[in-house]
Amino acid sequence: MRVNFSYLDRQFADVDTYLKDIRELVLTGDFTLGPPLREFEERFAQLMDAPYAIGVGTGTDAIAMSLKMLGVGPGDEVITTPNTFIATVGAIVMTGARPVFVDSEDGYVIDPTKIEAAITPRTKVILPVHYTGNVADMPAIMETAHRHNLAVVEDACQSIMGAIDGKPVGSWGATAAFSLHPLKNLNVWADGGVIVTHSAELAEKLRLYRNHGLVNRDEVTMFGINCRLDTIQAVVGNRLISQTRQITERRIANAKRYDEAFAGLGELINLPTRRPGVRHVFHLYVLRVKRRDDLLAYLRKNGIDAKVHYPIPVHLQKAAAYLGYKSGDFPMAEEHARTAITLPGHQHLTEDEVSYVIENVRAFYRG
Amino acid sequence: MQRRIPYVNVVGQHAAIKAELHDALDRVLDHGHFILGEEVEEFERLFAELCQSPFAIGVNSGTDALILALRALGIGPGDEVITAPNSFVASAGCIVQVGAKPVFADVREDFNLDPALLEKAITPRTKAILPVHLTGRPADMDAIMDIARRHHLRVIEDAAQAVTAEHRGRRVGSFGDAGCFSLHPLKTLNACGDGGVVVTHNRELCEKIQLMRNLGLRTRENAVLWSSNSRLDTLQASLLLVKLKYVAEWTEKRRANARIYDEKLQGIPNVQVPMVAPHERAVYHTFVIQAERRDELKQYLADQGIGTAVHYAIPIHLQEAAAGLGYRRGDFPVAERQAAHILSLPIYPELRREDLERVAETIKSFYRS
Repeated sequence: MRVNFSYLDRQFADVDTYLKDIRELVLTGDFTLGPPLREFEERFAQLMDAPYAIGVGTGTDAIAMSLKMLGVGPGDEVITTPNTFIATVGAIVMTGARPVFVDSEDGYVIDPTKIEAAITPRTKVILPVHYTGNVADMPAIMETAHRHNLAVVEDACQSIMGAIDGKPVGSWGATAAFSLHPLKNLNVWADGGVIVTHSAELAEKLRLYRNHGLVNRDEVTMFGINCRLDTIQAVVGNRLISQTRQITERRIANAKRYDEAFAGLGELINLPTRRPGVRHVFHLYVLRVKRRDDLLAYLRKNGIDAKVHYPIPVHLQKAAAYLGYKSGDFPMAEEHARTAITLPGHQHLTEDEVSYVIENVRAFYRG
Repeated sequence: MQRRIPYVNVVGQHAAIKAELHDALDRVLDHGHFILGEEVEEFERLFAELCQSPFAIGVNSGTDALILALRALGIGPGDEVITAPNSFVASAGCIVQVGAKPVFADVREDFNLDPALLEKAITPRTKAILPVHLTGRPADMDAIMDIARRHHLRVIEDAAQAVTAEHRGRRVGSFGDAGCFSLHPLKTLNACGDGGVVVTHNRELCEKIQLMRNLGLRTRENAVLWSSNSRLDTLQASLLLVKLKYVAEWTEKRRANARIYDEKLQGIPNVQVPMVAPHERAVYHTFVIQAERRDELKQYLADQGIGTAVHYAIPIHLQEAAAGLGYRRGDFPVAERQAAHILSLPIYPELRREDLERVAETIKSFYRS
C-alpha cells in the first residue's frame, strides 16, 4: 500500500466542475480583484466569524503586510517562536524588524509563560503561530500583550478553523494570517493567502496596500505593493470553501484514531498535550518519537510518505546567524527538531490507510 | 449605433486560443505541481531567450520583480533611486518598499527619462537608476548606461510595458543589472492573473533572486537568507507558454496598428502622435497621443462608443502618497504638461483596420466641431 502526504490527485477526482468555472472566468478576462475574489473573501470571513477578510498573494505576505500596516519597521522587535516554518521569520525580516524568539511548549506552540522575559522597549508585536493546526494559548498571550501595550498578529497559516472554546483563530489578534497553499486545509491551486481582521480601519489600509495604494484608478494615498489573491484561484477557493468544515472534521477524526492508537506506546511516542477546549485542526499530525530517523526510513520503505517538519529550528538556520542565537537556547524547539515526525493525516485518507500507518508504526517499535 | 470599440479586449485574445489554454490547464492538473512546477522553468528559459538575457526568474508580479531586483542588489534605507515621475505608481512604490527614497527626474517628449536631467539628480546617496520604458518605447539606454558607468550606479530597467522593445537592435531588459517585466492581464504577454519576471546577465544575482522568491530556501530544510515568497504560479506559466507562441505576431499587429494611427492622425494640429526614432523599436503597450482639450475629446469618443484611457492622470510626485518626498507642482514641467494632454487609444491586435480608421475619423470630427 502507498499512503501519500499529498492528496491533490484525489481532489482532482471531480476536476471538471472546477475547470468549468475556470474556463468561464478565462473567457471574461476579469483576472484581478474580480467578483469571485469578493465572493471568496465574504465566505472566508463568514467561515472565520470575522467581519473582514482580504485575499493576498501568499500566507507569508499576509503576515508581512499585517506587520507593515501596524507600523512595524526597522528598529522594532517582533516576538515569535523558533518552532515554525521559516516563512514566519521571513515575513518579520521583510519589514526590517528583528525577530526575537521564545521557546515553544509541548504542543508546538509558543510558551506563554516565557514571552514576558523576551519583551524589550523595542518590542512592537507578539506573533504567535498556530503551528501544525494547534492553537496558541491566546487568552494568556493577549493578557501579556495588553499589559505591555503590544499588538498581536496571529500566524494562522496552518490553522484554518482552529478555535478555543468555540472562538475561532483570528478572534484575538489585530489580524490573523492564513495560507491557501496547495496542501493547506483550505487550498487553492497556486500560492494564496488571506488576512482576517476585526478592524475596519486595518481592513481598509490592507486593501489599499495590496493594490499599490490606489484609492481609485488615478489616486494613490500611500505607496503600496501588488499582492492580490488571483481571481482564478478565488474560483477554486469558492468550490473548496464549502467543504472546509467537512475537511476539518475528517482531519480531526484521523488524528483521534492516531492519538488513541499511540497512547499505549508511552515511552516511545510522546503525544503532545491536547489542551481541553482547543479545536486542533491538524494541518500536520506531528509526534515526537524515539529513533525518529529510523522510523522515518522504515515508514518510507513501506510506502508511507511521512515527513519531518522541520529538522532545523529557525534560530539555527544559516539565515539566522546574525541574530546571535546558539544551540541550547530553545530546548523544546530543538528537541522537536530532533524527534518530530509528521504522519499523513489528510482528509482523503481511507480508514484502511490510517490503519496501515498505525500498524507500521507499531510494527517498527515491536521490531 | 455603431459597434463599440472598447479600450481593451482580453476576451477577444482568449477566444482565439481557447482550446490551447484549456489543454494547458489540463496538463497542470495532470501533474499537480502547482508551485514551481516544470512549466515555470520552461517559461523562464523561453522568456530569457525572448529578452536576449541568459537568466530569467518568474515571480508573482511586475512590482515584485522590481522589489526583488532592488533588494537583491542591496538597495535599502538611506539610498536614493532615480526614476521617472510619469510612470505607473509601482515604479516608485517598489523603491519605497525596500526602504530607499525615490528621486524623480523629468522626461522628454518620448515619455522617458531625460538623461541630462537624470544626471543632475544624482547625489552621493544615489545607488541606482530605474529607467522606465513607458508605453513600450525604450528609454535612451546608451545615455543612461553611460551615466551609470561614470557614477558607479546600478541600473534596474522597468520594462513592465515593453517586452521585445529594442534600443539600437538590443532588447530592453538586457542593458541593466536587471530587467523587470510584468505579465499582468492587460500586458501584451499576459497571464490570467498577476505575474512578473526578472531577467539578468548576472548569474550570482539570478541565484540570489531565485532564493529570495522562495523564502531563502536552498533546500527544503535550509534557509540561507530571510525572505518572503513570490513565485510565478505554475498554472499561469502553463498559460503563458501558450501565449509566448503568439507574442511576436501580437506585437507586430500592435506596431501595424500604430502605423495606421500615425498615418490617419497626421495633420491634425491639435493632436501629437508618438513618433518613434529610427533606432528604436516600440511595442505599443499603449498608443498615447497628446491632445488639446483632452477631457472633452475623451468624453466625445466615449459618446461615440470608443473607449480610451489616461496613463496616468496624476504624476507620481503629486500623489498624496508622495507628500513626504517634498516635491511640488512645477518641479517636472514636461511630465506635468503631458499628464494634462495624454490619451491612450485602443491598440490591441484584435482591432480591425476600420476600427482604427473610425477612431481617427472621430478624433478629427471632434476638432472640426
